[in-house]
Amino acid sequence: MDFALTNEQEMLKRSARDFLAAECKFETGRAMEADRQGCPPDFWQKIVDLGWTALPFPEQYGGAGGSIVDLAVLSEEMGRANMPGPFFSSVILGGLTILEAGDDQQRADLLPSIVEGETIATLAVLEPELSYEPRDLRTMAYPNESGYVISGTKLFVPNAHLADYVLCAARVADPRQGDEAVSLFRVVRSEGRAEGMSLTALDTMAGDKLFEVVLTSTPVARNSLIGKPNEAWPALRKVLQIAAVAKCAELLGGAQKVIELAVEHGRNRSQFGSLIGSFQAVQHHCANMVIDVDLGRFLTYQAAWLLSEGKECAKQVSMAKTFVGDAYLRVCMLGHEVLGGNGLIDEHEMPLFSKRAYSGQQAFGSSDRHRELVAQALGL
Amino acid sequence: MEFGFSEQDQAFRAEVSAFLDREVNETIVAELESGLGPGPETRKFRRLLGARGWLTVTWPREFRGLEGTNIQRLIVTEELTYRRAHYTHVGATMAGPVILLFGSDELKREFLPRIALGEIEFALGYTEPEAGSDLANLDIRAVDDGDDFVINGQKLFNTATHFADYHWLGARTNPNAPKHKGVSLIIVDLKSPGITINPLWALNNQRTNVVYYENVRVPKRNLVGTRDRGFYHIATALDLERMFPSGDLMRDLDDLVDYLKQTRRGGIRLADDPLVRQRVAQMATEVEAVRLLSYHIAWLLDRETIPNYQASMLKLYLSETRQRCANWTALILGPLADLRSGSKWAQLDGRVTRNYLDGLVRTIVGGTSEIQRNIIATRGLGLPKA
Repeated sequence: MDFALTNEQEMLKRSARDFLAAECKFETGRAMEADRQGCPPDFWQKIVDLGWTALPFPEQYGGAGGSIVDLAVLSEEMGRANMPGPFFSSVILGGLTILEAGDDQQRADLLPSIVEGETIATLAVLEPELSYEPRDLRTMAYPNESGYVISGTKLFVPNAHLADYVLCAARVADPRQGDEAVSLFRVVRSEGRAEGMSLTALDTMAGDKLFEVVLTSTPVARNSLIGKPNEAWPALRKVLQIAAVAKCAELLGGAQKVIELAVEHGRNRSQFGSLIGSFQAVQHHCANMVIDVDLGRFLTYQAAWLLSEGKECAKQVSMAKTFVGDAYLRVCMLGHEVLGGNGLIDEHEMPLFSKRAYSGQQAFGSSDRHRELVAQALGL
Repeated sequence: MEFGFSEQDQAFRAEVSAFLDREVNETIVAELESGLGPGPETRKFRRLLGARGWLTVTWPREFRGLEGTNIQRLIVTEELTYRRAHYTHVGATMAGPVILLFGSDELKREFLPRIALGEIEFALGYTEPEAGSDLANLDIRAVDDGDDFVINGQKLFNTATHFADYHWLGARTNPNAPKHKGVSLIIVDLKSPGITINPLWALNNQRTNVVYYENVRVPKRNLVGTRDRGFYHIATALDLERMFPSGDLMRDLDDLVDYLKQTRRGGIRLADDPLVRQRVAQMATEVEAVRLLSYHIAWLLDRETIPNYQASMLKLYLSETRQRCANWTALILGPLADLRSGSKWAQLDGRVTRNYLDGLVRTIVGGTSEIQRNIIATRGLGLPKA
């Protein structure tokens, strides 16, 4: 057992924190909630120049060869800063899906431009059935002479409006296939459009650029299939695990900042002739926040490490997301109690965190969904 | 970052597990669950552990420890608690460490090996009617009389005094100094004349005691460390000792999961009930979080870093998780949860009834959850004291 970050990870953490503190102050995060694009101009290039889009990819594709633990370290800093933009969707949901699901040629063809930040990708899985079970997918791909025609509705697709292509999970229409027969199709958008594909911006709590994507007989070439037909589920399952863990890290980064805001307030704010940080109620709220963040961190980094080691870890991934999904909400509620009236005003940082805590609960499976996965992993 | 165990530690756990699977029997478990403290079978077992150095894994070999790591220490207690064969050895975890750090060579030689070998046991002598969370308020007096102290006063909730050999007494040796600067630690032979021990029974059937000292004479050589610095010695030792195993929670969870797979209600297996699945998953998640926190503390100690707030976090979170697990288990078992061990229709030996009552006790003893939260806030976060 070793809970220490490596020197490289410490450097990554420190440099990311410093960069984001300078380039991504909370006014930016707040402004991006309302902004249609959702990413400040030049910002994407800056993070590409830092090498962040290369982090979790093998060196043969121009990547940095970083692990899921490295990705978690970086994600914490991004969450602390409420960093906007398509990093998560392009690098994790897009790039890592191609890495896990694509064949060698596809990886060689597609990953370098993701690594270089030239291409923005995203992933479309969830549908109105709101199920992550492959058997519940209703988006269908019908084979024809040139390839497939895809019809279905996808929800909560992050940054679809910025994506050069959308990786769509669909079932190839074939009554013989089993429950887990899922295929992944790369649907290319040219000049912001793809035939038969329409995007509708969803108005979410955190303004985080999630879209409804409707595919109406969307034609795709045969070679738009990522990997083999009907065999994408193991890769997709793994990417969803990585995404859940990276999201946990991001949420914890925000939660840590909330603790700091509360403590700073406790040390500076006086009422009834004393610093409010000396009142036991305030102290106990802060202590409870620390418990949630520390424990959430242990669970998250355990899952990240197991993923990095390639070990089976469905239980640990789901324990992390179960815990952190609930924990961040608790931390924000308590943070608001400590911060009092000021923390309720939009011009304060705090609302950014509490809105993200709300959406974070739903991302890649809620705590309830992940409790069910833990139960399955326990053999119930 | 690494969340697995070294080969050496895996081998150590295997060795400990094999030994315990052979040596832990129903009598030991029954003695420990009686609430009366370790009986004869447990004392025999304690010596077997002591012979292997497993009561004092991290102690120097000179004093019959193994010079092992805190991770290994936690492995031993985790496996013991998993088999319900553990109780807190005050000698090994509270008195011994202070003697090791601050005691005279004479006291070290006299007490440490016997503690390590499981031959003697101590009882904590801190709490008094007016000194609970506010330990510095203790008032039992140790007055100089030649080569001895003469001690008068009263202790309350001194668990273990009825079966221990020695009292690890916090007594006031300087009534004129500020309260926390006038306390000394004194080893008292519990067979000394003038000591009266009366039982008190806690709601979980655990025996604790009121202890009266009437002109008890104790040689001054039994003072540990520096006179009047006892409070600080206690604090230093606590920093190094607050590592709690959670094997019992893991065992309860495993037993519950087995039970759920085999038990049907309303025509379906309990394991298939969605609400049951949610609750058990939550329990498992919290128990896993506790486990990781306990290893984090062991890891900090092995790096010679004081876990200045994490120990408080573990104590409170472990005890509160225990309460939640008991309450959720009771909800899962339904009305049968009300039945105690031995009753017709009792499930899982009525264990949930004991866990509920133990749960009420454990958030209080050893430092209440409220005090622990104060510590996290002040020591951990630097919030101002009141």
